[in-house]
Amino acid sequence: MTTFTSARTLDEALRAVGDGARPVAGGSDLVVGARQGKAPLPPALVGLERLEELAAIEPDGDGLRIGALARHADLEAHPLIAARFSALADGSALVGSPSTRNVGTLGGNVMNASPAMDTGAPLVVLEAEVELRAAGASRRLAVEELWTGPGRTAAEPGELCVAVHVPAPPAGSGSAYVRLEYRRAMEIAVVGAAARVELAGDGTIAACRIALAAVAPTIIRAPGAEQAIVGSLPAPQALAAVAAAASEASRPLSDLRGSEAYRRHTIGVVARRAVEIAARRAGGESVPIPANRARGIGVPFGGAA
Amino acid sequence: MATVTQRRTIRADGPDKVTGTGRYAADLTLTGMLHAKLRYAGVPHGRITRLDTTRARALPGVFAVLTQADVPDVRYGPYVKDRLLFARDIVRYEGEIVAAVAALTPEIAQEAAEAIELEIEPLPAVNDVEAALADDAPLVHDDWADYEVEEGVERSRNVAAFSAIERGDVEAGMASADEIVRTRYVADASHAVPIEPRAIVAQWEGEKLTVWSSTQVPFDTRSGVAETLELPESRVRIIVPHLGGGFGGKCGFHQEAHIAALARAARRPVRLVFSRREEFIVPDRRREEMVIELETGIRRDGTIVARRGRVIVDNGAYTADAAFFPQLAAMHVAGPYRIPHLRIDAQLVYTHRQPSGSVRAPTAPQACWALEQHIDEVARRIGMDGLELRRRNVLEQGDDGPSGQTFDEIGMRECLDRAADMAGYDQELPDDEAIGVAVGWWPSFPGASGAYVKLNADGSGVIVTGAQECGTGAVMALRQLAADELGMQPEDFTLVYQDTDAGPYDTGATGSQTTLNNGRAVVLAAGQVAEQLRELTAEELEADAADIELVEGHARVVGSPSRQVAIADLAGIAQGGELLLGRGSGAPPGAPALRGSTCIGDLGMAAFTAPQFSSHAVRIRLDRDTGVVRVLAVAAAHDSGTILNPVGAEGQVEGGVLMGIGQALTEGTRYDEDGRQRNAMLLEYKLQTIMDAPPIRIAWVESPAPDGGPRGAKGLAEAPNVTTAAAIGNAIAKLIGRHVTQLPMTAERVWEASR
Repeated sequence: MTTFTSARTLDEALRAVGDGARPVAGGSDLVVGARQGKAPLPPALVGLERLEELAAIEPDGDGLRIGALARHADLEAHPLIAARFSALADGSALVGSPSTRNVGTLGGNVMNASPAMDTGAPLVVLEAEVELRAAGASRRLAVEELWTGPGRTAAEPGELCVAVHVPAPPAGSGSAYVRLEYRRAMEIAVVGAAARVELAGDGTIAACRIALAAVAPTIIRAPGAEQAIVGSLPAPQALAAVAAAASEASRPLSDLRGSEAYRRHTIGVVARRAVEIAARRAGGESVPIPANRARGIGVPFGGAA
Repeated sequence: MATVTQRRTIRADGPDKVTGTGRYAADLTLTGMLHAKLRYAGVPHGRITRLDTTRARALPGVFAVLTQADVPDVRYGPYVKDRLLFARDIVRYEGEIVAAVAALTPEIAQEAAEAIELEIEPLPAVNDVEAALADDAPLVHDDWADYEVEEGVERSRNVAAFSAIERGDVEAGMASADEIVRTRYVADASHAVPIEPRAIVAQWEGEKLTVWSSTQVPFDTRSGVAETLELPESRVRIIVPHLGGGFGGKCGFHQEAHIAALARAARRPVRLVFSRREEFIVPDRRREEMVIELETGIRRDGTIVARRGRVIVDNGAYTADAAFFPQLAAMHVAGPYRIPHLRIDAQLVYTHRQPSGSVRAPTAPQACWALEQHIDEVARRIGMDGLELRRRNVLEQGDDGPSGQTFDEIGMRECLDRAADMAGYDQELPDDEAIGVAVGWWPSFPGASGAYVKLNADGSGVIVTGAQECGTGAVMALRQLAADELGMQPEDFTLVYQDTDAGPYDTGATGSQTTLNNGRAVVLAAGQVAEQLRELTAEELEADAADIELVEGHARVVGSPSRQVAIADLAGIAQGGELLLGRGSGAPPGAPALRGSTCIGDLGMAAFTAPQFSSHAVRIRLDRDTGVVRVLAVAAAHDSGTILNPVGAEGQVEGGVLMGIGQALTEGTRYDEDGRQRNAMLLEYKLQTIMDAPPIRIAWVESPAPDGGPRGAKGLAEAPNVTTAAAIGNAIAKLIGRHVTQLPMTAERVWEASR
């Protein structure tokens, strides 16, 4: 038997979580997982759906404080996120389907800790931190330190993720997330990569952060790939070096979605593309959200690509 | 007279389905109803060493637990009677049913199913169709020779059915060729994946059984229940609420008898609703794995002179309707071409996998995919474009086909030309794009069918039909046919259908047959009512019945439209005397003659009644770095005879194309080493989504068939699923310089092939 409590206040929610209840927002991982037999529903659930204060997306200095209940649809449509935190908009826009994005939340996605999550690599390159709250306590933790394995986080029992903080991106920077997908909706990343690129005045890349999804037990950084491009123009040779280094950094598994060899190859491809698009955005070019759809289907016969 | 037929008409069941007010089998709840769960083998091959239901029966809330010991000892199967309702002694695939439970809640039923003590000693499994043919391969059925078999099924050991088509002298034909091209292709198994997983509700009232089932074939289901539970058919009634798709996956007789037996034992109504995983693993309806080896002799001028072919079709553990697949596959690796000399051998082979069965155009998409890529290879060998080679060799009016059938007026060549034209086949494309083209064919299936038409006192009509609607809209279009006969509107008619106690016998939503057969029956039935109306009008207006026409809701005298009477008034008059009531059935068209060919293992698949032809041209873009293929646009030209409702017809092509794209690129069932399905879920079995749907342009090449349905209509539900994958394969090969030889052509396989 599972009990379900709908929290009226954050304090109520924190008390319930402190007593061992599992928080639920959109339920798009929890419910689907239970119905698929992946994990039975926990004995106690606390619903966060009424805590509107956790759904706000608000400026925090030059950065953003994104409430844990902000939905993927909110992130995808938010003009500031599209403009300045583009990788996060790219990733949010790719999650599931419109109905998934209308219920799934950023906090849920982050705390579910899937290595294939679409918002994870963007948050890493954007240097995001989660705000974890327990009854009478609060701390912030970099997302890279949050994830400890597939479905595992460094959150203590009783801690609830209430927000994700994203600092102001450096001036002259742009970001992007690109994933390999076999279809255009209801898809999960075969591999995915996010990049944030900071351009110097001469068009060379002054700084770069690259994170990889679905190629290791958690989202990982690819420092070798980052170093491969710093100081260079985003030109073919340097981008090829990014791809090679990203492949090198990956530790993929073989599964139904792709073999180890295929993933190792394609993580390089998406990393290279993420850097390339991030650099274009850093240079002021407008690349539509999500970056994956930049070259779409549906060209009528006889029409131009 | 075709005033409303051929008009764009919105289907009668559309609003129910779109607004969610429609009821499906899983929505039914009866007083006192219990819930069923099934216990499955879980291993592909093994011997049952222990099956004890004592603990399960003792659980509170459990009303019945059944095994084969509780039901009649009847082997069944439409061609080969090789299976029982429940496994006894030996299990032959992971989804084979060993026991069934009825309990107060689904949760208790599941707990009880798991509490059944089942021990199975594993035996070596046959998972490879070619290994199954080895002399020393374990037999999937030790006692295969003792099974009862339909006439015409040729079998031996693990070969459940064998068929060959021979014409001319293939040795001599090959000897006369300038070049001989050989190819081998493998198609993985796939699934029908209807959105509604199957659901069954069974209820006994005394000795009378009613089963509500999500089946495509209610009358077959009635026969199956009656046969396996040893009941007269008159005591079994099958009702199908709205059916949430089928695509062939709900053809055949499935778990209705299990649930009926549970309901009888429990003395309560019982409902079974499948999970998505069960829908993947259990039914004897999987699109068959195929191994296809082709050899074509070609002259440098582009004339095909000979074809040799070998096809191995995976039957799985039991023979559902797949017995006719070898002959059908043989026809599809021959294809709609003039080939003077050919020999095709095809075998259906038992393995320890889920049984194969009719999924939309069985064997055709895979066979066409192999053949049409092979044709492009043949063309390349002689330095000719594939389109040109097809133009020189496809069947035209008066030609003899590969099985010796002489073709009447057909639109094959026009389909090819129009698909290529619509696609802009010759245009310059970016270097990551290509257009592939393919041709295909598919028969229409004649069968018995019947309908009643009656008019109410207010002039509205009712069509009572045995036909089954599986989403194609074919039953819905019957209203147009009746309306035309009676000078009425489609909206004037309601339909009583999908109920074996109401409608006459029908083969169901299978083989694209509804319009062809039931359409004819409805026209006949409505024609009888029309005749009654004319006679009644003749009395009323003191005119000759032969001069009465039925137009716009009125009966009137030809040439003097002021002398008329409303059909509603006539219906009111009839209510006081002889009722307006018609019935129709009529003999189905006979099979076309075959000359100059030999068919071994003939199950009627080598003669194509009212043959349908199609050509698809598909423009794709390849991401060369990853092997991901996007379909940018599809041009589909179809000769399915006269189109009766363009809205429904377009829907069939659009759905068939999308299903074809899925089969081409992403839909394939994966097995582990033991033969268990690994991707029996929608996350990992990747259907195309609406987001992946490209623009689809359609051309109708309407060559009416003299042996077709009303107004020369042919079938249409399956044909659009035949050629898409083949065209995509040819487009991919143009971009990477070689053909991907395994279906689906996943991104990883394309990438591997292009390295």
